[in-house]
Amino acid sequence: MERIRTLADRLIGLSAAIGATALIGIVVVILIDVIGRALGSPLYGSQDITTMASVILVFAPMALCDRLGGHISVDLLERYFPDAVNRGIDIFVAFLGAVIFGWLALATWDSAQLSLMLNLSTNLLYLQKAYFQWAAIGFMSLASLGLALRALELLLTGRDVRTETRS
Amino acid sequence: MTGSVAGILGILVLFALLLLRVPVAFSMFAVGFVGIWGLNGLNSATSLLASEAFTLASSPELIVIPLFILMGNVASHTGMSRQLFDAAYAVIGSIRGGLASATVIGCGGFAALSGSSVASALTMGKVALAEMDRFKYDDRLSTGVVAAGGTLGILIPPSTGFVIYAILTEQSIGRLFLAGVLPGLLLLSMFVLAVSILCMIRPDFGPPGPKTAFMEKIRAIGRAGPIVLVIFITIGGMYGGFFSPVEAAAVGAGAVILIGAITRRLKPAMLWDAAKDSVVTTATVMLILIAAHMINPFLALSHMTELVAQGFAALDMGPMGSLLLILLIYIILGCFLEGFAMLVLTLPIFFPIVLELGIDPIWFGVLVVLALEMGLISPPVGLNVFIVKSVAPGVSLGRIFTGVILFWVMMLATLAILVAFPQISLFLPNTMFN
Repeated sequence: MERIRTLADRLIGLSAAIGATALIGIVVVILIDVIGRALGSPLYGSQDITTMASVILVFAPMALCDRLGGHISVDLLERYFPDAVNRGIDIFVAFLGAVIFGWLALATWDSAQLSLMLNLSTNLLYLQKAYFQWAAIGFMSLASLGLALRALELLLTGRDVRTETRS
Repeated sequence: MTGSVAGILGILVLFALLLLRVPVAFSMFAVGFVGIWGLNGLNSATSLLASEAFTLASSPELIVIPLFILMGNVASHTGMSRQLFDAAYAVIGSIRGGLASATVIGCGGFAALSGSSVASALTMGKVALAEMDRFKYDDRLSTGVVAAGGTLGILIPPSTGFVIYAILTEQSIGRLFLAGVLPGLLLLSMFVLAVSILCMIRPDFGPPGPKTAFMEKIRAIGRAGPIVLVIFITIGGMYGGFFSPVEAAAVGAGAVILIGAITRRLKPAMLWDAAKDSVVTTATVMLILIAAHMINPFLALSHMTELVAQGFAALDMGPMGSLLLILLIYIILGCFLEGFAMLVLTLPIFFPIVLELGIDPIWFGVLVVLALEMGLISPPVGLNVFIVKSVAPGVSLGRIFTGVILFWVMMLATLAILVAFPQISLFLPNTMFN
């Protein structure tokens, strides 16, 4: 279990780093476009690049978001619940999240097949949408696996990685 | 099962899940997906899930969120917020309660760099609390002013709250940003007024700080110059029609990175951390937005909105009465729900009613965001209060909540003024966009 956690954490860190790179990339592309426009030659297809990069930026950090306990929840009644109930809720939430991200990945897979069949692409640079959908599927699957692993850890060993030092 | 019964059942399950601490996004996903499955079939629910997730993630308007978050994060990491506070402190720090007023002004300045109230409270808390402690300010005033001042981040543009509202209601982000300027400044003035009144009644709450020499004042203002310039370029560029909101956000982020690099306060590792923090925050926001786009069709299919609209019609209170009732609901919900989640959960129900009543959607947006802001300092889940508590561990939560009461009342008074005078919100967008 420990080795799987180490591997999962490395993948989660890598995917978040990809997301951060996409964000900095978006800043650079838009700046080049704005400066270029002021000089009379805007960056051709900049919106195609930024919108597709934003798909990476949105889904890449999903796994880290859960790892850090970043999802917003209403913890109004937490202190009134017994520890066992809180632990049960944590396990349920992690499984539910795993199912949601897994289903999202499956649904996006079908959608990607359709995009490929219809040759859907961006308007100017003709970037194939299916490639970015596949990337999103990868990140969604990683988020699903991360949540499933957390649920198993909570169930089998009682370990909650979110309470440990943030990586 | 009829649509209405399914809708009511869905909302009850949603609230049950929320009370059981299931994350807001997961709760909305589960209820929206199962609800659509029940009413329209599994294929319909699955294809909606896939299409909404990708469409929203690749929406050009939404890129504004991570970019403004990055701008605020870099400004915070590089200590630019400190310079805003120092400049305000140099000018008014020597008057009674001046440090608290300087904190409010610093919060307002930082709010124009960051769209997040939490970031504003956290950053200003780190900067201002120690100073106010040094000059023997009452801890209720010092913590209260940071918690309340931080909420300005959601009203003064760029505001994440306005972007979310714009996406959910298909309104113009630019118009909403513009509509937030005067109410934001009004609220800032009300906070400064609150500090002055309090220090007049209880002079021991905010003793005057040492006088700053004229040249030192000029130097402090000069040091804040580049940040003020960034604010002017981003906000001014957007309103002047030079940039779209997304471009303004990227230019702002690029400018703070450039300033940080030139002044050597921004190290590559710091930029990397700021970018990683920004994408994690973005993931939180985006997942809720995607989930909201699952629950909205469910509410439409179950005719819940029509049901609530019929309820409002039966009350026969007219547009103003209905508006006040909706705002009251927001203020009450704000005591229990996280503001952003509240916005996402309630807008699909209330917004169609608002349109039907002929209420201006931009004006309504400002009022809702201000009501949401009040929730940030309302007990028992006032997020900003907890943020301040994390920065001031020695002050009890009770004292911080006592400290925010006056500012909460000022927010209520501002809300009343904005309801009575819609022109305050609508003057700038109507003048500049028409």
